[in-house]
Amino acid sequence: MKRVLSILLISIMLVPLMASGGSEKATADGTYPAGDIVFWGTGQPGYRQSYYQNYVEEHRDVAPEVNVVADNMSSMADGQQKIAMYALAGDYESMPEFIMLDTVGIIDLASSGLLVDVTDYWNSISDEFIEGSASDAIIDGRVWGLPDAVRPQLLFYNAEIFEKYDIDPAMMSTFDGYLEAGRLLKERSNGTVYLSYVDPGSYTWRYWGRRGLMPQANARIWDEEGNVVIGSDPGTKLALEYFDKLYSEGLLYKTTMMSQPIYEATDDGIIATFYIGAFWDEFMRKNLTATAGDWRIMNAPVFEEVGVGGAPVSTFYCIVDKNPNIYTGLIQDIWYDFNTNTEDRNAWVMEMEEINGPYNNPVSIEMLKDPFWQEPSDFYGGQSFRKAESDGLANAAKNMMVTASDAEADTIISAELEKYIAGEQTIQQAIANMDKELKLRIGTAVLP
Amino acid sequence: MINRRQEITKSLIINFFMLLVVVVCLFPVLWMCAISVKTVGEKVSGFNALVINEPTLENFKHLFTLVPIWSNLYNSLFTTIIGTITTLFFCALAGFAFAKYRFPGRDVLFCFVVATMMISAEAGAIPLFVIMRKMGMINSLWSLIIPRIATAVGIFYLRQYMLDVPDELIDAAKIDGCRDFTIFYKVVCPIIAPALASWASITVIARWNDYFWPLLFLNKTDKYTLMVSVAMLPVSDGLATPWQTILAGTTIVILPSIVLYLIMQLFQKSGNFAGAVKG
Amino acid sequence: MRMIKQLRKYRAPYLFILPFFLLFFVFQLIPIIWTGYISFTNWKGLGDPQFCGIDNYKLLANDYMVTDALVNTTIYWVSSLVIILVVSIAIALCLQSPRLRFRHFFQTATFLPYVCASVAMGLIFGMLFDENAGLINEVLITFGMDRVPWLTSSKYARIPVIILFNWRIIPWFTVIIYSGLLNIPSDYYEAATVDGASEFQQFFRITLPLLKNILFFCMLTITVDVWKMFNESYTLSGPGSSNTSLFQLIYEYAFKIFRLGYASSLSMLLIVILLAISIVQFILKRREGEI
Repeated sequence: MKRVLSILLISIMLVPLMASGGSEKATADGTYPAGDIVFWGTGQPGYRQSYYQNYVEEHRDVAPEVNVVADNMSSMADGQQKIAMYALAGDYESMPEFIMLDTVGIIDLASSGLLVDVTDYWNSISDEFIEGSASDAIIDGRVWGLPDAVRPQLLFYNAEIFEKYDIDPAMMSTFDGYLEAGRLLKERSNGTVYLSYVDPGSYTWRYWGRRGLMPQANARIWDEEGNVVIGSDPGTKLALEYFDKLYSEGLLYKTTMMSQPIYEATDDGIIATFYIGAFWDEFMRKNLTATAGDWRIMNAPVFEEVGVGGAPVSTFYCIVDKNPNIYTGLIQDIWYDFNTNTEDRNAWVMEMEEINGPYNNPVSIEMLKDPFWQEPSDFYGGQSFRKAESDGLANAAKNMMVTASDAEADTIISAELEKYIAGEQTIQQAIANMDKELKLRIGTAVLP
Repeated sequence: MINRRQEITKSLIINFFMLLVVVVCLFPVLWMCAISVKTVGEKVSGFNALVINEPTLENFKHLFTLVPIWSNLYNSLFTTIIGTITTLFFCALAGFAFAKYRFPGRDVLFCFVVATMMISAEAGAIPLFVIMRKMGMINSLWSLIIPRIATAVGIFYLRQYMLDVPDELIDAAKIDGCRDFTIFYKVVCPIIAPALASWASITVIARWNDYFWPLLFLNKTDKYTLMVSVAMLPVSDGLATPWQTILAGTTIVILPSIVLYLIMQLFQKSGNFAGAVKG
Repeated sequence: MRMIKQLRKYRAPYLFILPFFLLFFVFQLIPIIWTGYISFTNWKGLGDPQFCGIDNYKLLANDYMVTDALVNTTIYWVSSLVIILVVSIAIALCLQSPRLRFRHFFQTATFLPYVCASVAMGLIFGMLFDENAGLINEVLITFGMDRVPWLTSSKYARIPVIILFNWRIIPWFTVIIYSGLLNIPSDYYEAATVDGASEFQQFFRITLPLLKNILFFCMLTITVDVWKMFNESYTLSGPGSSNTSLFQLIYEYAFKIFRLGYASSLSMLLIVILLAISIVQFILKRREGEI
C-alpha cells in the first residue's frame, strides 16, 4: 500500500520536471540551429508569418531547420505583460523570439533588460529608412526596436452620408469644422446619424485620448522631471474639453469598439466618421460589407490653436533577450528583407488585399518610391489608401512623452474617463481626479 | 368543488412557474447555439438573433483557424480527467481515514480541514505563482492538477458517506487479513460508488469550467485550456471576432458538458446530483 | 519516542490524510503567509522586494477602487444570499410538490445552468445585455420602455453580474435544498395537515426550521463563492471600477500592472474579511445553541 502511494506521489512530482526540455546550442558550421522562431503580433500575425516563413524557406543554406511560428497576442500591453510574467517565472524558454511593441512596451521591457540592443545594427542601415522612424524606440541613445510601421492618425468618413445630407467633408480639416459637421449630421438626419463612436471601456482613452486628441493638442501627463501635470496642463484641457463637446452634444454613438455591434451600426449608416489610426483600415475592410466603397480617407483634423496633424503610431519589431537569443542575426535579416525587398513585399500586399488581410505602408525610402504605393483601393471608392496613409504622416504631432509608469497611468486615466462617459462626473472633475489619482498612486513617473 | 378549483390553480401556478424557470435556464444556451450557426454578415443584434436563414458550420471552421482547438481540447480533457481521478482518489482516502480510523488528533485535524474551507487558495495567488515557477510547473498542466488533488470540501463530503459504511464489513475484512489500502479499495470504494460518482461529476464540471488558474499558470496559446482560448476570442485587438465565431467557441466549451450531464442523467435516473448532498 | 510509536501504530490513517496537509501547506498556507510578507514591500515582480512599511495599507485606505470593489462585492454578497436562498427554496419546493408534472424533466433542465462555464456564459450575457445590440434592451423597447445602459453605466453595471452569478449558481443550491427537503419525514406534514395547518404554516413551522442546518451551510458556501468571484465580473466588466469585485481588483493590480506588493495587501484584506465573516457566522450559530 505504501509502495503504491509513494510511487504515485513521486511520479506525479516528476512528470513536470521531465516535461521541460533542454535548450539548443548553436551549431558549429555557421548555420542557425534547428528550432522555431516564435513571434507575437496583434491582429492576425499569421499573415506576417507566411511572409517570414517564406523567407526562411528560401534561405535554407543558413537556416536549414528553422521555422517561423506566429502567435496572436490580444494587445501589445498583453504581450508585454506576458513577457514580464515569464521573467517573473524565470521561464525564458517560453518567451517569443521577437515581438511587436509600441513605445510603452519597449520602455517597460528594455528597462527590465528583456530586449536585445540593436543600436549597432540599426546605425549600419538607418539611412535607408524614413527619418526618425526608430526614434520612439531609442532610450538614452540605445535602440531597442526595428521600425515595422509608422502609421498616422486618419479621418475615415462615409462619403455617401455626407453627400446625402449635403455636407462638405472638407470642412473637417479642423476640429471646429469636425464638430460643426457632427452638429449638421445630427440636425439633418433627425438624430439618426452620429458623427462617430465612443467606447465605454478603455479604448476611448487609447484611441481618442493617448493616440488622438492628446498629442494633437500638445497635451502632457508629466513634465520633464516626471511630475504629474495633467490637472493643470492647457493641452489636456483643450483635448478633453473638445471631446466633452462631442460627447455631451450627443454626437458620439456609444458602442463597444471592435465588436459586432459597432460594425452593424456602421454598415447601417449610423456612424459617419472614424477619427482613428490607419490600422482601422483592416477592420473596416474585414467587417463592413454594405458600406464598402463608400468610405474615403482624409488627414486628421487639426486644432487651429496648435496646428499639428495626427500623431503617428510607431510599431517596432523587438528582439527578445532570451539569455541569449540565438536567432538575433536571422531575425534582423528577415526584418530587413520584409522592408527592402520591394518585389516580394508588393506581391504579399496584393495577396493581403485580396483576402482582406492586414498590411501597412513600408518604412523604407526606396520601397515607398515604388508606384505600387499610390494604387487606388476599391474599398475607398478608388481613392488610394496607401497614398492617404503616407500623406497622413505630414505635419505630424509629436507623441506624448512615455515613461516607465505609463502602463499604470493608462489604467488610472482610463478609469476616470470611463466614469465620465458613464455620466458619473464632468470632464473637469475627471481631469482633476486623474491628477489626484496619478499623484496618489504613482507620485513621480519613472523616467526612462 | 372550491377545494378542487384551488387545487387546479395551485398546480397550474407551480407548473407554470417551473416552466418559466426552465425557459430562463435554457434560453441563453439556445440563443448561443442559434447564433453560432448564423452566417457572418447576417445581423445578430436584437431580435435578428432569432432568425436563422441559412444555418452554417462556417463559424466553427473559422474558429479552428483562430485557435489551436485540438491541442486546447486535449489540455482541457487532460486536466479534467487526471484532475478528477486524482482528486477522487486522495479525497476518498483521507475521508476514509477520518471516518473509519481512531487515531490521536483525529478530531482536531478534521476540524482543521473543515476550517480551511473558509480560506480561498486564490488569496495566495501571487506567491503561488512564484512557487509554481520554482517547481518548474508554469505552462505545465500539472500546475492545475496537483494543488487541488486533495481538497477540504471533497474530504468532508466523502467522509460523510464513509461514516455510513458498516464497521462490521471493515472488521471482517481485517480478520480476512486485508491490509488498510486493500480494505479501502476493495471494500469501501465499491460501497460508496454512488457518492464517488456524484463527487466525480461535480469535480468534472469544476475542472472543465476552471478559468482563473489556467489564466494564471498557462501562458502559451498551445498550452491553454479551451476555456482560456475561448475567453480570449473577443478581447483580441486585431481580431474583431464576430459574435458568431465567439459563440461558436462558447458552444464548443458548453455543449460537451451539457451532453455529458444529460448522458449521466440517463444512467442514474434516480440518483442525479441530489444524491450528492447529504443533510 | 512515544510520538514515533504512535505514528507507527497509526501510520495508515496518517499516511492517508498526509497528501491533504502537505498540499495545504505548500499551496495554501505558505502562499498566504508569504502574501503577508509581500504586502509590506513594494515588489513589482522583477528584482528583490524592498521593504516599505505600511505604505501599501495607507494607499489601500485612500484608494477609491478598493472602496468600490468592497462596496460591489458586499452588494453581490447580500443580494446573492437573498436571491439564491429565496429562489432555490422556491424551485426546490416546486420540484418536491406532488402537483408537478414531468418532475424528472424539470429536475434535469433546471440544473443545466450549473453545468455551463461561467466564463462562456459571461460572454453570452455580455451580448444579451449590450446596450444597442442586445436582446434584452430590444425586449424592453417592445414593451415601451427605454434602453438601459446595462454595462455602460456605473448605475446598472452590477445587475448583469448579479444575474449571471445567480443564474449559474442557483441550480446548485436548489439541489442541496431539495435533498434537504427529501430528508424531512413526511409524517410531520401529515400530522400538521390533520391538525389543520395551512401550507404556509407548514412551510414556516416545519420546513424552514428543519432546513436550518442546510441553509447555514448554503450561506457559508455562498459567502466564500461571492468573495472570490472573478469570472463573472471579469467578463462583464463595466466602466472603471463600477462592478469590479475585490478579487478581480487583486488580479488586475497584480498581473496587469505588476504592483504585486500592493495587490498582496489587498489579498490580506480579503483573507481578513473572509475570516471575520465566518467567525461572526459561527458565533451567531453557537449562540443559538446549534453547535
